[in-house]
Amino acid sequence: MAETKEKSLSDEKPKPRVRPIVRLGIFLISHSFLVSVVCCTAGVLALFLLPVLAKNTYISENALMPGSASPMLSNQHVSDGNRLVKDLTNPNSKSSETGIESHKIIAQYMLDLGAEVSFHKFHPQMNQFHPLHFFSSPVSGKIQENYSCSSYGINTVGIIRAPRGDGKEAIVLVTPYNALKSGFGEALSLGIAYSVFSLLTQVTWLAKDIIWLVADSQYGEYAAVAAWLREYQSPKFSSLSTPNAEMCPDVNNLFELKGHSISGSKFSNSFRRAGTMAAALVLKVRDQNEQFEDTISIYAEASNGQMPNLDLINVVNYLAVHRQGLRVNVEKLWPLLNSSWLKSLGEIFESLAKVAKSLYPKWKFGIPATEYVEGTATLASSLYYQALGVPTGPHGAFRDYQVDAITLEISPKFSLDKVWRNDILLRGGRLIEGVIRSVNNLLEKFHQSFFLYLLTSPSKFVSVGVYMIAFALLIAPLPMVAASLYVDANSSSNYSKGDSSTPSAITDTDEHGIAIRSWRWLNSAKLVFIVHLWGAIVSLLPYFISQIPDCSPTTSFMIWVLLSILSLLTSNSVLASPLACAKATQEKEWALVKSVTISSVFIGLGLMSVINFATAEIGALLMVPMCLLARPLKLDVRAGTLRSFCRLICNLVLGHIAFPPAAFFLLKGMLDGFGNANVGDFWMWVESLWAWNSATYLFIGMVQLPCWVLCVSILFHTC
Amino acid sequence: METFINPKSLFHLLLLPCLLLYSSIAYNSSPVEAAMHTNNWAVLVCTSRFWFNYRHMANTLSLYRTVKRLGIPDERIILMLADDMACNTRNKYPAQVFNNENHRLNLYGDNVEVDYRGYEVTVENFLRVLTGRHETAVPRSKRLLSDEGSHILLYMTGHGGDEFLKFQDSEELQSHDLADAVKQMKEKHRFKELLIMVDTCQAATLFNQLQSPGVLAIGSSMKGENSYSHHLDSDVGVSVVDRFTYYTLAFFERLNIYDNASLSSLFSSYNPSLLMSTTYYRKDLYKRRLEEVPVTNFFGSVMETIHTDAAYKALSRRNSGRFEDEMSLDQSVHHIKRRMLIKVNDGDEIHDINPELLQGEEGASKCPWSTFRNKFQKAENVDSLLNYGLVAMIPLLVISTWLVQ
Repeated sequence: MAETKEKSLSDEKPKPRVRPIVRLGIFLISHSFLVSVVCCTAGVLALFLLPVLAKNTYISENALMPGSASPMLSNQHVSDGNRLVKDLTNPNSKSSETGIESHKIIAQYMLDLGAEVSFHKFHPQMNQFHPLHFFSSPVSGKIQENYSCSSYGINTVGIIRAPRGDGKEAIVLVTPYNALKSGFGEALSLGIAYSVFSLLTQVTWLAKDIIWLVADSQYGEYAAVAAWLREYQSPKFSSLSTPNAEMCPDVNNLFELKGHSISGSKFSNSFRRAGTMAAALVLKVRDQNEQFEDTISIYAEASNGQMPNLDLINVVNYLAVHRQGLRVNVEKLWPLLNSSWLKSLGEIFESLAKVAKSLYPKWKFGIPATEYVEGTATLASSLYYQALGVPTGPHGAFRDYQVDAITLEISPKFSLDKVWRNDILLRGGRLIEGVIRSVNNLLEKFHQSFFLYLLTSPSKFVSVGVYMIAFALLIAPLPMVAASLYVDANSSSNYSKGDSSTPSAITDTDEHGIAIRSWRWLNSAKLVFIVHLWGAIVSLLPYFISQIPDCSPTTSFMIWVLLSILSLLTSNSVLASPLACAKATQEKEWALVKSVTISSVFIGLGLMSVINFATAEIGALLMVPMCLLARPLKLDVRAGTLRSFCRLICNLVLGHIAFPPAAFFLLKGMLDGFGNANVGDFWMWVESLWAWNSATYLFIGMVQLPCWVLCVSILFHTC
Repeated sequence: METFINPKSLFHLLLLPCLLLYSSIAYNSSPVEAAMHTNNWAVLVCTSRFWFNYRHMANTLSLYRTVKRLGIPDERIILMLADDMACNTRNKYPAQVFNNENHRLNLYGDNVEVDYRGYEVTVENFLRVLTGRHETAVPRSKRLLSDEGSHILLYMTGHGGDEFLKFQDSEELQSHDLADAVKQMKEKHRFKELLIMVDTCQAATLFNQLQSPGVLAIGSSMKGENSYSHHLDSDVGVSVVDRFTYYTLAFFERLNIYDNASLSSLFSSYNPSLLMSTTYYRKDLYKRRLEEVPVTNFFGSVMETIHTDAAYKALSRRNSGRFEDEMSLDQSVHHIKRRMLIKVNDGDEIHDINPELLQGEEGASKCPWSTFRNKFQKAENVDSLLNYGLVAMIPLLVISTWLVQ
C-alpha cells in the first residue's frame, strides 16, 4: 500500500529527496507485518535465551574483600549463643502472656556484653489502601489516635559502637522473633545473632556501628521492622504519642525493672540511633527442613521489583559456598523444573552451542540442559517476584530507605543432637561475621555492582543491558504497526471513495476530505481515552469496596466486577458512546482504534518498564500479541480462509488469556494446580498488591485492563 | 677583545674573558660529569588510599625502612603516604603496619617521618618535590634538596595503567609528566643519577617518555601485565605486600651497608614465575655498567671514595682531556683565544676553579670568600709561576662576572 502511495506521490510531482532514516522508517512501516512477526519471535526467543546469556557474578567492589580475613568466631561465642537459645526455649521464660520475659532475657544478654540496649514499642499499622500513596515513601510522622495497650509490639535493639569508628555508619542485623509462640528456629536465629554480637563487642576492627534488632514478629515480621525503621529514619517529634504508649502498665513495668536491676548500665528508655545504614541482614532459621544438606536461601526482592546491590548477594553467596560450605538457594518456580518442553528447549540450545563450538572453538555459550531448566525456573521466579512488586521478606522495609538488605534463611538438616546445633551456630555465625566484616570494609554505599538484574542462579545473573533487549524487541513493532494502520486506514478509505465516485468529485471534496480524514483519529483517541479513564475508576473502586464491613473476598470481587461493568456502560452512554455510533460509512474505523490502542499500550509499557521492568516484560508478553493480532471477528469469519481461521482462534485464545483475572487464575493454576482456585483469590491478590503499594496494581488497572477492553471491542466490531 | 695585539702584560687580562667564555661552554655541555656522587636521596611514594590498598603503604614503609637501614638519613628521605592505614578503624592492630603475616616487624614503629600524608599526596605536590618548585612556606624537611652530586632513588607504588599512575583515586601522573619532571630536574642539576623503581600494573609503560641521561628505571611489570600482591594476611584481612616489593626486600634483607652487591644482581634476582610478571629495566639512558654499580649507591648512602694526595686535586684531573674535544668541536669565531686556552689547560688546573667559583656564587649555600681563601691556600701547592698570576686574577674575575650578571 505504501508503494502505491509512493507511486501516487511520484505521479503528482518530482519526488523530493528523502533522507535515509525516513526511507528506512517508511520501509519498516510498509513491511510492518513481517517486522512485527520477526520482532515478537525474537523477543520471546531472547527471553528464553536469557539463562544461556547469564554471566557469572563477581565481586565488583574492591573494598569488600569477602573471605580475606579468617573468621574469629570461636567455640566460646558459640557456647554463649547456645546459652541464650537454652534460656529462651526454657518453658519458664514463656510464662508471661505478652512474652515480655523473653525480651528481658535478650536485653539482659545484650547488656552483659556491654552493648547499648533500648526497647522500641510500636503499634502495628495495618496496611491499607491509600489511592494517593503509590510510589510515596512510607508515611512518616503519622499519628494514630486509637492506641490500645493490648496491641503493641516490642523490638529489642542492641547497638555496638565501633571503638575507633566515627559513628557515621551502621550495619543492621535483624532477627525476627515472636515471643509468644517462638519455634526452635527463631531461638536458634537469635543464638546465631548473639554469638556474632558477642564476638563483635570484642573486636578492634569495627569501622561501622552494629545494630542488632530483635524484631517482634507477632504482628508480622515486616510490620515490626518497618515500624522500627520509620522511627529510626523519621523521628516523631509529637509528644502526644509517646506518653500514650507508656501509659500501658506492662511496658512501664518492663522499663522499671530494667532500670532497677542494672544500675549504671547502658540501658536507655529513649530510642537509640547509630549512623546511616550501610547494609542490613535479616537472619532466619527455618524450623522444619527435609533437605539433605544445610542450605541457605536468599530473598532479595523488595517493593516494586527493587533489588539490593548485586554485590551484597555476591558476598553472601561467596562466603556461604566457599567458606562455610553451605548450599545457596534462590527462589525457583518449582513446576517449571519438571516441564519437558523446557528441557527439550535446553537440549536444543545445548546442541546448537555444540555446533557453534565445532565451527569456531572460541564460541562457548552453551550450558547443559539441566542447568538451563534450573536457570529458567530461577529466572521465572525472579521475574515473577519482581513483577509482583511485593517484598519477599522484612528486608523490603529497608529498601524503602535505599538501604541494601537481604533476608537469609538458613534451613539446617534437622537433627536434635547438640553437635549439630553447635555446628549450625558456628557456620551460620561465621557467615554473618564474614558478611559484616566485608561490609565493614566498605568505604561508600554499595554502588559498584548492578541494581537492575535478574538472577538465574545464586552465582549467575542477567544484567539490565541484556534483558532489556528481549523487552525492546517485543515492543518495537508496536509503533510501526500503529503507524502502518494509521496510514492504511487513511489511504484505503481514500481509495474506496475514489472507486465509488467520479474523478471530479475527488478533486472537489479533496481538501475538505483530507482535513476531515486527518483528524478522524481523534474519534478513536477519545474512545481510548474514555476506556483508560474507566480503567482509573476501576482501580479506585476497591478503595470503596474495602470500606464495606464484613465482606468476603468473593462478594467483594463480585461487587467489583459488577460496578466495573456498570461504570463502563455508563461512561459509554454518557460520553457519546463512540463504540455504538462509530460511523458505519468509515469501514476502517477499527483500524484507527487499534492504531491508537497500540500507541497507548506502547506508552504504558514504556513507562512501566522504567518503574518495574519485570511487570512490563510480563505485561508485554500478554498484551503485545493480543494488540497486534486484534481484528474484527466478523472480517475473519467472512473471509473464511485457513489463515483467517487461525487468526480467529488466536484472537479468541489471547482475548481470554490477556484478561487480568483469567491470566491470574491461569498462572495460579499452573503453580498450585487448578483444584483449589477460588474466585475470591483474585480479590485477595489484588488486595495484597495495593497494600504493598505495588505499581503492578496500577499497571493492571490502567494499562492492561483498558487495553484488553479495547481489543475485545475491536474483536466484536461491527463492520 | 679587539685589543688582541697588545703586549704580554695584557695577556692575563685577555685570558679572563676567555676563561669565562670557556667555563660557560663547559658548563652547558657536560655539567653532570663534572660532579662527584656526594649524597643520596630517596623519594618514596605510596599513591593509593583506602583500606584495601594496605599493601601499598606497607610496600613503601618497608622500603623506607630498608633505605634507612642502609644509611640514608631521615632528612634525605621524602616519604609520601596517601593514606593512614595504621590508624584506620578497620586495622585490627591499631597503629601498626605489617608487611608479613608473621607480624614480626612493625613497620610503623618509632622514627617514621612521613613528609607528605593523606590528601597532601597529589600529583602537583609530587612534581613540586621533584622539580623543587615549592612555595616559600614549605619547610626544608619537605623539600628534595638534592644537587648535581645526588643519587636519587624514586620509588612509587600504587595502581597504574598504560603510561599512568593513579594518585589518590582522583588524579593521575602520566609518563609525560614524569619524564618532564625528570628533565627539569636534570636541567636544574638536581641529580647525578636517578633510579626510578615502580611497583604498579604495567609499570614499564611509565618510563616510555624518559629522555634525560643518568636515569635508570625499573618496573615490576611489562605493558599488559598486572603486578600481584604477594600474600594475604588473614588476620588483618588484607594483602600486605606486593610481589615485586617483597622480593626486592628479600634481596636487601641479606645485605648490609658494607655489601658490594651490584644493581645487575638485584635486577637479575627477580624471578618472573615468582613475580607473576616480568620486570623491566630501562638502562639506555644510564652510562655506567650495572655490574659495577653497587646497590648501595642508591638504596644506601655509600659513595665512591677516592684517595688523593691533596684535597681537590683528583677532581681536576678527570676532565682535562675532554675539554679539548669540546673545544675542537666548537665553531671558530674565537679560535685563537681558544688555542691559548688549550695552552693554559695543559698542565694547568685553575680552570676548574672557575666553574666552581661561579657556581659558588650562584648557589646560595656557599660562601664565596671561603672558597677564595681555599684557592689561595691551594695555590701554595702549585709550583707554576703562571698559576700565581692567574690566582691573582681571581678577584678581577669575580668582579667581572658580578658585573656581567
